[in-house]
Amino acid sequence: MTFPTTAAAGGPLSMGEHEQQSRAIQRRADRWLIAGTGLMGTLVLGIVGLPVFCRGLYLLRKAQRGGLSVRPTMVTLIGFVIILDAALNSIGWALDLFANHALITRTVFTAWGNLIDAGYFWHYNELWIGGAGAPGEKAWVMVCVLIAFPMRIAAAIAFLQMKRWGHQWLIVTCWFGIIVWMGYIFNMTMYADVRYTAVGFPVIGWWAFNIFYITPFLAIPYLHTVNREIFSD
Amino acid sequence: MHDQDRRRKRGLIAFQVFVYGMLIAMFAIQLQMYLTRHW
Amino acid sequence: MSDSTIQTEDSADSLPIGTTSTWARMHKWLKRALYICLFGLVIEGSLTVPVMAVWYGWPTLSLTEICSELMKVRFSNDALECQQPYPLGGPPFGGAPEAAGQRTAKDDWGIQPKPRYERIGFRELVRIHQERIARQSAASAPPNH
Repeated sequence: MTFPTTAAAGGPLSMGEHEQQSRAIQRRADRWLIAGTGLMGTLVLGIVGLPVFCRGLYLLRKAQRGGLSVRPTMVTLIGFVIILDAALNSIGWALDLFANHALITRTVFTAWGNLIDAGYFWHYNELWIGGAGAPGEKAWVMVCVLIAFPMRIAAAIAFLQMKRWGHQWLIVTCWFGIIVWMGYIFNMTMYADVRYTAVGFPVIGWWAFNIFYITPFLAIPYLHTVNREIFSD
Repeated sequence: MHDQDRRRKRGLIAFQVFVYGMLIAMFAIQLQMYLTRHW
Repeated sequence: MSDSTIQTEDSADSLPIGTTSTWARMHKWLKRALYICLFGLVIEGSLTVPVMAVWYGWPTLSLTEICSELMKVRFSNDALECQQPYPLGGPPFGGAPEAAGQRTAKDDWGIQPKPRYERIGFRELVRIHQERIARQSAASAPPNH
């Protein structure tokens, strides 16, 4: 499918046609992006979702080069990566909250706990509510799964729709993310003996695994410097 | 316009120094604990 | 692009919508870091379950066996098993969790608890499991004389 450029000898596309084509390709790309993110959000099917997602990015880039007005790549990237970040965290922690006695949860979590972060191994499933028993851990799990991540996902979706409130609330929820990161790490450090004793890869394992979740830290500078006019009410 | 941008740039640099500084500090603290305790 | 307010003259290729020249470099680096995060998240996410399964003895041990072995280490009690499937009334629906009331876990208690279980190495669970099976069959079949 080729996209006519506005500099074509035959004259530019009419406003209506331009908008129509832009919207069509945007929707087409979004289908790939959403499907890709959905697959990546399951954790285990991630490697299948990545090429699907990249196809969506490719369609958007091609449309941009063809002169169509589609969502800027950075907005797409931030929006979907933030959703992915929140979804991956949520899938894990939702299992810990609501499915902590499923075989897969018990096995995978205690294995992860034994290898990387014993907060998910030490006295696992002994609390009345089940799941991780490390001091303070459950509180962070609950505030994230029930409050922080749903808010962030909602804001990111509105941000992807180029809504002004999406942009504003993504700023707010990413700043929440700073609090979550810091509070969570402070708590871990306070009870570091519980979290790291007899673990497969103490300290290094946790940081190497979790460093890729710093997406809110990367989004904040962009959100504060992007031209707000591109987001409409 | 330029003044606001300059202030914003300084603010963002401060933010990034602070936030990544905190992360590095916490990592260093945990590493130091790893080296001194018998994990 | 027709947005002349956004486009600048000083770059050969036009800036993305929303990015002014002041911030173009920063946005470029943020974008690269985000790509790294994206690929990192996906690749480590896909590898997590397989790597851990193999590390803890799969396929030599079944998932239930891995669960039980980890439970034995966790609570320092060779008698514990992972009940599979766990009755639906369990947490968070009000029932008792699988380790409720356990007394065998070894910890140094206090305001800063310190666990006392041992580190498990690569596929060490397999060895631990097989040794215990051997011990139990030797114990249950004592020599005749």
